[in-house]
Amino acid sequence: MKRVLNCTLIAIAAMLTASSALAHHSFAMFDQSKTVTIQGTVKDFRWTNPHVFIQVMVKNDQGVDEEWSIEMTSPEHLVRVGWKPGTLKPGDKVTLNIHPLRDGNIKGGQYLNGTGPDGPLIGAPQPSPGEGK
Amino acid sequence: MWRRPALAAALLLCCAAGIQAQTKMPDWSGQWEIVGVTPNASGGVQESFEQVLKQMQWSPPNRPEVQARLDQIAAAQLKSLAAQDQGAEPLASGPTCTWGFPAVMIDSPLMFEILPTLGETVLIFSGREVRHVYTDGREHTPKDELWATPWGDSIGHWEGQTLVVDTIAVKSAARGASPDFLPIVAFGGGGTAGFRMKVVANLSSQARFVERIRMVDNGHLEDQMTIIDPASLTAPWHLSRTYRRAANVHRMVYEDCEGEDRNPIVNGHYTIVPPPSHTLGSAPAPTNAPAGQPTVPN
Repeated sequence: MKRVLNCTLIAIAAMLTASSALAHHSFAMFDQSKTVTIQGTVKDFRWTNPHVFIQVMVKNDQGVDEEWSIEMTSPEHLVRVGWKPGTLKPGDKVTLNIHPLRDGNIKGGQYLNGTGPDGPLIGAPQPSPGEGK
Repeated sequence: MWRRPALAAALLLCCAAGIQAQTKMPDWSGQWEIVGVTPNASGGVQESFEQVLKQMQWSPPNRPEVQARLDQIAAAQLKSLAAQDQGAEPLASGPTCTWGFPAVMIDSPLMFEILPTLGETVLIFSGREVRHVYTDGREHTPKDELWATPWGDSIGHWEGQTLVVDTIAVKSAARGASPDFLPIVAFGGGGTAGFRMKVVANLSSQARFVERIRMVDNGHLEDQMTIIDPASLTAPWHLSRTYRRAANVHRMVYEDCEGEDRNPIVNGHYTIVPPPSHTLGSAPAPTNAPAGQPTVPN
């Protein structure tokens, strides 16, 4: 009986934590302990639901272009902090700070902040040390 | 002959009364967001969880047995979040765009519009959820026609510029939730997952909600909510939320869980797949995704 109760509680907890509520899915796919900076050229700024993506061409160590998919939140949330569908355009040079995907075989990450052709891009506030632990 | 002027006068009075009544409707135009649940660009929350809890000042009078269960859920949640910090990925069972009531009013990050009219006030949320609050004097839906939904059954009336809403027949929007699982959740930013949450109460299917919604100043609305639910609370629970007009937004921007979803679950993990081809009719090709079939898009 206790096992059943525990399973139920775990299921409830999982249901409540499975999505960030703001991002439609868990952020655990991104390595929150790592911040990576990438520099490249915007290939496409995909203003789409449920998530906006910045497609960036980044040269790897061998000088070969690789396409990165940088995931943001939804358009509904982004407009409220000042982003627009035209904030980035193909060809823009950008520097982006991201939490990379845990699966290093896929070039992708979670957008944190960065700079674009017109200066700093609106980003997420950085938590103060120890906050939320 | 005298009837015509009399009829015209009656019509004029009627129209004037109607116009006067309409002009008394408050101007609640604009896009409203809940203070304390403002999204940031990454998908987290601007305000820290501690700030949110302080602002809420919620202390539901939970029945002891309910509180004991909530404590167990909170402990399991902490474990779940700690596991996420280590890379575990709890997988959602489906789209999470539906919030339902009362979440849409107290802990949702989605904007909404309020359209007060003479007989009904409509609240439209960016995720396409709608609350209909009938203010034409009708009673609640008769019992033999009533069933629980995530938005409940709402009637209301105006007390001056305050909209008083009475809502019953609410069930959780979560898929597979039992009738007596209607959690009230506090969200905030922080932690390595980007957000934190806590279930502060769990209501039953018998819960009744009375809201008093009013403008407190030019840019803020307030919802004073009283929840009556003897099955889970020892006394009525009074809580409040403040809404402000969202900055930078001049029309509804829709939220959609489907759209161009690029986060399928592959081999038990969420991943990112490349954008779909621009070629009309071609299917998205996860060319750099690991082996395995994408399942359960969320």
